[in-house]
Parts: sequence; structure tokens; C-alpha cells
Amino acid sequence: MTAVIEARGLKKSYGATHAVDSVSFAIQPGRIVGLIGPNGAGKTTLFKAILGLTQFQGELRVLGRDPRSQRNELMQDVCFIADVAVLPRWLRVSQALDFVAGVHPRFDRARATDFLRKTDIKMTSRVRELSKGMVTQLHLALILAIDARLLVLDEPTLGLDLLFRRQFYDTLLNDYYDKERTIVLTTHQVEEIENLLTDVIFINRGHVVLDTAVDTLPDRYIQLTVTSENAAHARQLRPFYEREVFGRVAMFFEGKTAQELSPLGELRTPSVADLFVAKMQGRQQGGVS
Amino acid sequence: MSTPDANLSSSAAPAAVAPPAGAITHPLMKTMRVLVRREFWEHRSLWITPLIVAGLMVLAAFPIHIGNMQFDDKGPDFTTPENRLGAFTLMIWAQTVPQYLVMAIVASFYLMDCLYTERKDRSILFWKSLPVSDATTVISKLLVGLVVVPLGVYLTAMVAGVLFQVIWAIRVASGSLPNIAVAWDTVAWLKVQGLMLYALIVCILWFAPLAAALLLISAWARKNVFLWSTLPVLIAIIMERVAFGTRYIVDLLQYRTWGIWDALGVNPTPAQSAGHGRVVSLADLFDNVGMSKAFLNIDLWLGLAVAAALVFAAIRIRRYRDDT
Repeated sequence: MTAVIEARGLKKSYGATHAVDSVSFAIQPGRIVGLIGPNGAGKTTLFKAILGLTQFQGELRVLGRDPRSQRNELMQDVCFIADVAVLPRWLRVSQALDFVAGVHPRFDRARATDFLRKTDIKMTSRVRELSKGMVTQLHLALILAIDARLLVLDEPTLGLDLLFRRQFYDTLLNDYYDKERTIVLTTHQVEEIENLLTDVIFINRGHVVLDTAVDTLPDRYIQLTVTSENAAHARQLRPFYEREVFGRVAMFFEGKTAQELSPLGELRTPSVADLFVAKMQGRQQGGVS
Repeated sequence: MSTPDANLSSSAAPAAVAPPAGAITHPLMKTMRVLVRREFWEHRSLWITPLIVAGLMVLAAFPIHIGNMQFDDKGPDFTTPENRLGAFTLMIWAQTVPQYLVMAIVASFYLMDCLYTERKDRSILFWKSLPVSDATTVISKLLVGLVVVPLGVYLTAMVAGVLFQVIWAIRVASGSLPNIAVAWDTVAWLKVQGLMLYALIVCILWFAPLAAALLLISAWARKNVFLWSTLPVLIAIIMERVAFGTRYIVDLLQYRTWGIWDALGVNPTPAQSAGHGRVVSLADLFDNVGMSKAFLNIDLWLGLAVAAALVFAAIRIRRYRDDT
């Protein structure tokens, strides 16, 4: 199966800082990939490279095309929501539909109208009259009605309340996602989307820190909770990160078996959010000690 | 079973969800039409202002009074049919002047603004998320500012002129104007319209490099588009004057603006060239103007080449700029 996105040695520098430094990864069709990293990790730069919005060094194929030279063809098969604020404020809802229908060969207007009918958005409203959540709903309605193969979402739910966020991802899963489509997304609310992800890519300071399918996490990572007395003993097994919670210590291990660890305390598979914190902080801890 | 529907628009039944398979090429003309409409949604002054000015031109038919007007001895004699015809054609022409002047201002500000605002309000990322190339987008904006709006003003000015004449005729018929005031002549009217259309087309070609320059500044400037469009030129003019005591830049600018009339082979104010006591008819000008003269002017084509280069630069900047 050919990858939807394939990056090899991808590099992008702004002056002396390397926003993305020799990054390589491949994203297969039908996956929902969370691109997770702290602020300034290089996520947005990576997205811009994928969408052909910026120049870069190295090799990058998106749906078999080079986003630098074949951007126009690519955008027929790729959709993106870069931020909630990008719909122009003067645009009317009906005009948004007219426009996308007029320029996008894969836009199904009836589908977008159906979706909008379930919301409080009026056809005659201008974007400036809509709440932030409604603007995102409108944007989502436009995107969902496009029969694209790759959907890229960069912080699509930024600044929305919990209800809107939940609804956004529910709609994405129920009305949009299927085995032929691929979704790549970033968000700071990792906890809310971790059940929806099939893959995660952690990125920090321009490097890929972790790139794995979510269902392989239990085999690779174990979170051990020990009492303070057992902590010293457990530490000998070299956890890559630990933190204290209510007088007990949570330790994160990579490549250890449950057999080795179970005598020391409680075992569980770390959540993506915990693993992310462990990976990011762990590197810093490792660097200090 | 669904009936074959040539266009993919909203008329398709919601039930027919079978998505079009394979690579579909969207007709460029359709895309261009939508892009042009888009500009009028965003920049409403593009159509509102010309309509207001045209409306004022029509309304001007009401308050004007001729009856008490005193003609001095040197003034033309409007009792001769020849002079009345000349006055008729001049009036049609004169009514369009404010409309074109306002249009020039509106279109200039539009061209300065269009590629800048989409970056300022960050909507550029939305437009770029759709399969429309930067070339198509930039050209659509140039087309709006340089061709669509001027041609639209040509049509509204024509309608306004006719309405003015209708009101005028009604006033003459009702006796509130002396009957020397009306002199409708269809052939002369058509000739004036033809002359103005020809002038407009030459203007569009002649002003293309200026329009393209504004578009380029719009694509390039980070802020203060208006200052970037004017200040550097002013500074260059002053520096040239101080340093060399010359005025080549001013001359070039003048040539690129008012030089149009030389290129056209017509005088901007035909009334001035009229002989003593005689009003020259623009219809005669239509007969005499050498239509090919402007198109044989090498500077017209050089200007178009410069315009093409500037538009190309604007497209490149929009394509590769990365500061959103």
C-alpha cells in the first residue's frame, strides 16, 4: 500500500533555527494520525510543508505528489482547516457554499446544506455574526462535503467549548471518516482525541520523538505505580520518566515486560496524554541527570 | 436513476450522492466567474460607488436650468443644429467623466487592497485550501480592477446618460426647459459610445502596468499599502530633482497617465479645441480618429510586457510567501 504522506529527511529552517530537522515518517491510508508536540515543536511548519504552503528541503510526497510543484492538483484531494479564524468575516454562509461549489469539483452542496440545517446557522448570516463555534461548524460543513482523500486539521477546535469540541470530533468520525480517508490533526487537548486516533507522531524541537500505531502502545510502554518504599527498587529498572502522584510514584518504562514489573506495583498502559508528557519531560530529565 | 446533469451545482438531488470518480477538471471559465463574483462580495464599494455616482448623474437632469442662462457674445450659438449636436455629444461625454474618475479611484484602492486584506484577515489560508491556483486568483483580481469594473462603469454610464436624456426630454416637453436643450441623435449617440468604448479599451491596455504595480505592492507590502504605493515614488521624484535637477520620473508618470490621450490620438477636452463660436461634435471625432494608431504604439505593448512581469511577480509572492 502506498503511503498518503511520505517524508524523508524533511528540513525547514527559519534563519538559524531548525523548525523541522531531518524528519522522516510515513502515513498510511485510512489512518487517523495525531501529530502531537509542544508549542514551537514544528507541527505547523510540517503542516505547511504538507499543504505546499512553504518551501523546504528534503523529500515529501503527499498522495504521490510533490506539494511544492503540484499544489493545485493536490488541493483537489486534500482539505485543511488551519485555524478557526480563517473564514473571512464578510462572507455570507450562502456565499461560502456558492464559492466552494463554484471552484471545487468534489464539493457536494446538498451534503453541506444538510449538515448546516442541523445547526443554528442561517444561510444569510455573515461569518462576523456567527459565534466562534458556529464558524467552526460552518467550516466543517464545507470540508465534510468535499470528497477528499486527506484531511489536515491544525488545532481545529481552538477556543471552542467542550460541547462544540465533542460534537466536532463526533461529526468527523461519524459523517466523514472511512477506510479510504486519512486524517492528520494536531490539538493541545490530547485527552479528548486519544480514543479516536489510530496513530500518534510525537514531535519536539523539529524531531520525531515517537511514531507508532496506538494499538502497539501496550506492548511498548508500561506505566508502573509504586509506593515510595518500592520506588528505589523500581528505579533500578531505568524508567524514562517518573512523577509523584498522591505520595505514590508513577514510572514509565519502555521495552519492559509486565512480568518484570508486576511484582513492584500496579501496571497499566499509559494514556497518550501521559505518554506525551513522559516523553517530553523525560527527555529533559534525562538531559539533566 | 439520475438524469445526466451537466453542471455539478446545487440542483443535484440530495439523494444522488455518488461522487464523481477520477480526476475532474473544473472548467477554468467557471472558476474565473466565481472568483470575479467573490471580489464583488468582499469589495462592495466596487459596485455600490459607481452606481451612486451614476445615480447622481441622472438626478443632475432635474436641477439644471438653461432658460435664464446668459450667453456672452463669444459663446457658441446653440440655435444652429450643428452646435446643438456638438453640445449633445459633449454632454454625453461630460456626464461619464465623473463616473470614470471615481471608478479610477475605487479600482486603484481595490487593487492596492485585495491581496493585502486576505493576508491581514488570514482568510488566505481558507482560499488556499481550495483547488484554485495562485495565478488564477491573482489574474481574477486584476481582471476585476482593470476590466470588469471599467466595463461595468461603461454600461452604467451609458444607461445613466440615456436616463438623463429622457428626463431632459420630458422637461422640454413639459416646458420647464427651452426646446434648444434637446437634440437626440441616435447615430451621433452610437458614435460617441463607440468612441468611448475604443478609448476605454485602449485605457485598459495603457493603464495595465500601473494596475499590475498596485497589485504587486498589495501582494508584497506587510502594512501601509497606500504609503508603499505612493511614498517611494514621491521620494524618488524629490531625490531626482535634488540630486540631478531632472524630472524623468515625473515625465514618465505623466506619460503613463495623461499620455493616454496622445496614444489615442484624441484631445482630452475636445471643447477646448473647438473653434471660436463652434462646438465640435464627438461624433466627428469618431469618424476621424485613427483606431489603429493606439495599437501601433510600441509603448502600449511595452507597458503590457511590464504589466505581465509585475503580475507574474505578484503570483510568485502569493504562492511562496510564508508569514501567516
